[in-house]
Amino acid sequence: MIDRTQAPTPGAPRPYHFPHVTRTTLANGLRVLVAQNHNAPLVSLRALVRSGADHDAPELAGLASLTADLLDEGAGKRDGIRLAEDIGLLGGTLGTGADWDASYISLEVLARYGHEAIDMFSDIASRATLPPDALERVRVERLNELLQQRDEPNAIAAKRFSGLLFGKGPYGVPMVGTPESVANIGIDHVRRYYGEHYIPNNTSVVVSGDVDPEQAVKLVEESLGNWQRGAEPPRPSVAAKPVESNRIYLVDRPTAVQSEIRIGHAGVSRSSADYFALSVMNALLGGIFNSRINLNLRERHGYTYGARSVFAFRRSAGPFVVAAPVRNEVTTESVQEVLAELRRIRTGDVEDRELNDTKNYMMGVFPATVQTASDIAGRLLDIELYGLPDDYFDRYRENIGGVSKDDVERVAKKYIDPDRALIVIVGNAKQVREPLGALGYPIEELDIDGNAIA
Amino acid sequence: MLNLEQYELGNGLRVVLNEDHSAPLVAVNLWYHVGSKNERPGRTGFAHLFEHMLFSGSEHVGNNEHFRHIQSVGGMLNGTTSFDRTNYFETLPSNYLALGLWLESDRMGFFIPALTQEKLDIQREVVKEERRQHYDNVPYGTSFERLLNLSYDPDFSYHWPTIGSMEDLGAASLDDVRNFFTTWYRPDNCTLTLVGDFNPGEAKRLIEDYFGPIAPGGTFPPFDLERKPQGAERREVFESPVQLPRLYRLYHLPKMGAADWIYGDLLSTVLASDKASRLDRVLVHEKQIAQDVAAYILPTEASGMLMMHATAREGVSIETIEQAIDEEIAKLASGGISEDELTRARNRAEIEHAHHLENYDERADIIGMFTTFFGDPEVVNTWLEPYQNATVDDIARTAAKYLVPENRATSLFVPQS
Repeated sequence: MIDRTQAPTPGAPRPYHFPHVTRTTLANGLRVLVAQNHNAPLVSLRALVRSGADHDAPELAGLASLTADLLDEGAGKRDGIRLAEDIGLLGGTLGTGADWDASYISLEVLARYGHEAIDMFSDIASRATLPPDALERVRVERLNELLQQRDEPNAIAAKRFSGLLFGKGPYGVPMVGTPESVANIGIDHVRRYYGEHYIPNNTSVVVSGDVDPEQAVKLVEESLGNWQRGAEPPRPSVAAKPVESNRIYLVDRPTAVQSEIRIGHAGVSRSSADYFALSVMNALLGGIFNSRINLNLRERHGYTYGARSVFAFRRSAGPFVVAAPVRNEVTTESVQEVLAELRRIRTGDVEDRELNDTKNYMMGVFPATVQTASDIAGRLLDIELYGLPDDYFDRYRENIGGVSKDDVERVAKKYIDPDRALIVIVGNAKQVREPLGALGYPIEELDIDGNAIA
Repeated sequence: MLNLEQYELGNGLRVVLNEDHSAPLVAVNLWYHVGSKNERPGRTGFAHLFEHMLFSGSEHVGNNEHFRHIQSVGGMLNGTTSFDRTNYFETLPSNYLALGLWLESDRMGFFIPALTQEKLDIQREVVKEERRQHYDNVPYGTSFERLLNLSYDPDFSYHWPTIGSMEDLGAASLDDVRNFFTTWYRPDNCTLTLVGDFNPGEAKRLIEDYFGPIAPGGTFPPFDLERKPQGAERREVFESPVQLPRLYRLYHLPKMGAADWIYGDLLSTVLASDKASRLDRVLVHEKQIAQDVAAYILPTEASGMLMMHATAREGVSIETIEQAIDEEIAKLASGGISEDELTRARNRAEIEHAHHLENYDERADIIGMFTTFFGDPEVVNTWLEPYQNATVDDIARTAAKYLVPENRATSLFVPQS
């Protein structure tokens, strides 16, 4: 008979190693990383261009992401439709995009077509045609997308929070741009961005999956070896505006049945020496299901389907933000509970069991998050983007394990400030305005574009 | 080819094992053959609310402790509910296999004693928030609900979505929870799949130890779903606070797995998938009247559905969009498709299937699906054959037969005037 009253004792842990990585740098400065994995007959090709929307001037916001959008509109000898047809014949999926720190290309295909895929992938990375008529179409699509976002509470809350924290520059103006900035972007801007940033010495290529590493490097070299290097782009740095005291920004959405709440302030850059301590502290605070904020708002009070906290680790310090959609009636209580959790984490009341549970989760879950060719490729891009050591993922679990209670308390005190926070609420102003007054913080009402309402 | 072992416990629990030592992980996956399809009017949303309850503890596992037990050893977990089934799953470091089996068997066999009104009240609120977040507070949020309402008669339980109505969620009682559990949550209505790093002999012993003593249920309630043909197209125009008009459409197909359902799957890829697909190419790229277009089918057991939606660009009427879609469908039904188009659609099916098998948790889930819907996990190894054997004529014939007005429902979301 088994004893059901106790959790069963585990067996001996089985060893885990991050896949071996073959690394080469071509003569033109292109870095090539290959990781072999036979889980599926797939190959994942990725390019990381170490420039993103952080280069966008405010009046041209959206340039990096529009450039990325145009990469699949024609490359080498193929126009956009032909490219899609030929990739489809390889069983392929092509994706392109940009975030604040970098631009990306991903092409995943059935392994038997790996050779052809590298050819097309190289065309997209180094020989995109960027046709002007495609820009006009993509621009209208983008303007329509921005129009649609005006009804999406999530998007409104994110834009207002970032705008208030970072002002009119990178991290503050949306990566996708504004109607005005998108209208300003011409094909010359796009071609200049592509020419200055999509260069081999600003790029890393990852090949992951069912491939022979030596053969993969050879194929990449054949198709990208003569890509011309250029001047290494600068790395812009971004700074948040200081927040002096708690202030509520209320954006009215008269049809809302939930308030989208964002509470936070400036966070920390990816290069911080406190990265591991912060990761553990945040997981415990609001980063995972069993975190304090989620258990409080969801499981104790039933205010929300899910609440979470995030440090956006970027090249410069991104935001720290707690996000929770809650029903109108409990908006004020939810803000109070979040602020209370932010205060509590700074008091050093973390218990051993809570800390160990969190660290064990982060350490244990890691192998399950790097099972696919695409997962592994993504992790290698992180190494490339943030200049992490090659043994970073082999040592990841050890680094998480080394975080102590004192570390958690120290970084909570240093990086979380519940008295200097932006509180953004996108919701039904008529219903939440008055109850929010009870919190005693100044309330400023904004329209969805961030203009003050008298 | 996946190497599968399947057997049944004395109490009717179906077990499927797929041993694979490439990562030190094990996926534990349970498919209960019950979903919103088994609900009755007045209690819509109940199967999903029940899924939430099953995470709130059992006789030997405290409230919130199910999550904690798994997360604290580095496991990932969740559960989902759809029309036809409810799944519960965790991926654990492989030395914790017994933990997963203990937790799952405890809630299968010892759930009722831990049930309280307070737990039900909290989860009811959480689910109502889930509904607000995903349906009621976002543009087009109720589109799926409206389309189902239109497409299926009230006596066919795809008539409502899994989330259910606020009113019915409010009416759910503890007695409902007990009855639902007793009726459907039993070993003979469940498939347990393990994928990953385990020793089969040891796994079988543990499964017998933990699940063997749980009693099977009695007879299942009579349950018969037969969809009657619509007869004529069903349409509605719905004014809603959205910026751009959008068309939503559902075409009825045979049940999942039938030959025409497979052709319908390929057809949906030919219609809308990448830039070179028919609707994408014409509506988005050539005529530039649509912001986006999508077509896909859902893995449904009682009746198949090919879904479609398309958003009009600013200044374009929804009539223009609908007309363009109908023209393309007519062209496809009469003119057929090219061999290249079929090859691309087949390749997409192949890569999607490969993706499902790539990591343990998705592989376990898809094996659970094949076992539950088709009674045989080996379908995972033959699934692509009908896709490979499909011909261009099969696709054109499917379009001509199913993509017709009398077989569809259309819901048009338009901005409020």
